[in-house]
Amino acid sequence: MILIISDDNRGNWGPTLEEAMHLSETEIVRFSADALQIKPCAACNSCSGKTFGRCIIQDDMQLLLPKIAVCRSLVLVSPVVFGSVSHHIKKVMDRMAALGDPRYRVKDGEIVKGMSRVGMNYYMVGIGDNLNEAECSAFLHLHQENRKIMSVKGQTFILDSRLNRVSLNNIVQEIIHE
Amino acid sequence: MNKSNIMLICASPRHKGTSAMLLERVQVVTGGKIFFLPQRGSLDELVLAMQKAGTIIISGPCYINTYPARLIELLELASIKGNFSGQKLYGIINGGMPYIHTHQHGLICLKLFAEQNHLSWQGGFVLGIGAMLDGKPLEKHMNRKRIVPAFDKFIRNIVEGVQSPNSLYEEAQPPPGKLTTRIFTKFLTFLVVNNLKKYGHDPEAPNYYLRKQEEDKINGSH
Repeated sequence: MILIISDDNRGNWGPTLEEAMHLSETEIVRFSADALQIKPCAACNSCSGKTFGRCIIQDDMQLLLPKIAVCRSLVLVSPVVFGSVSHHIKKVMDRMAALGDPRYRVKDGEIVKGMSRVGMNYYMVGIGDNLNEAECSAFLHLHQENRKIMSVKGQTFILDSRLNRVSLNNIVQEIIHE
Repeated sequence: MNKSNIMLICASPRHKGTSAMLLERVQVVTGGKIFFLPQRGSLDELVLAMQKAGTIIISGPCYINTYPARLIELLELASIKGNFSGQKLYGIINGGMPYIHTHQHGLICLKLFAEQNHLSWQGGFVLGIGAMLDGKPLEKHMNRKRIVPAFDKFIRNIVEGVQSPNSLYEEAQPPPGKLTTRIFTKFLTFLVVNNLKKYGHDPEAPNYYLRKQEEDKINGSH
């Protein structure tokens, strides 16, 4: 299953991406994070202790966590906000800690962690018109660090509203054929 | 520096954690008021206080390589409201990993926010292995001999109202060598595994959400 979680507050990129993927034989599931009620991570540490692997905050994130836990590919679609993702998508990212492996290991000479289920692909699609070099670089840097700390494969894409259909299809092909 | 015009924002949901401890250490020297980022409700009043401040210092934890969502929400709202006029902005971010690059995105994000909203970015401080302090004083940090003077120099830069260079925290925190990395990895894993065992959990077990779905499938098939 390919899971798309998008912030469609400033555009319609999540549904557009979903539509572009509809011919794929893989099941596509999409949620609009901005339409869900998701509270910020409370840093209670319960998911890495008392309720290991389970987030105790009862809100719409409980719809997403079971899907993220089993998906083949996770695609986060967000406006680029100060070189980061929007707060709607960041809330999802912060709460994904419940799905992480709390143990540490060494990879390429550095300490890293990983996800509880090995093999998930993780994509990030940033949306923004007229982004400057620093914004694009920061967005790419964030996703690169995410992939490193989560020990997952994936790619980052940055789109603007002038994007043509061919480019969108190229991104779709990258995701569905991984 | 006008001490009454200093605004210190703690971006952590925890009021007694490392982010708050670092901010209190700054406050002792700079004065000003600490605002804890409310985890629910309107952020309008906080934005209003930011607009009125002369110097803003933000301290927060690193979640998934940058500041938590609620701070991004504050920055988004502040950007919509606008009305900034050269306020000096400093940032502090701390995280568990002993690397600068793991946490540095938070400061880059603040810098971009400042540049796009007529604030004056003055630099920041990245603190690795900050989570282990769990709110204890900086003097308890594993690398205290280098960290304490570097952070105190950062505070002096705020007091003097000057730019604080990245080299200040970079030079104080060189990446650990091979042996230290191996020992640190084993030590941290020992701590988390012990904690899980204390609650009767098996660190090797599949995640709760995977187990639950498997159980639901089995129950559904009967």
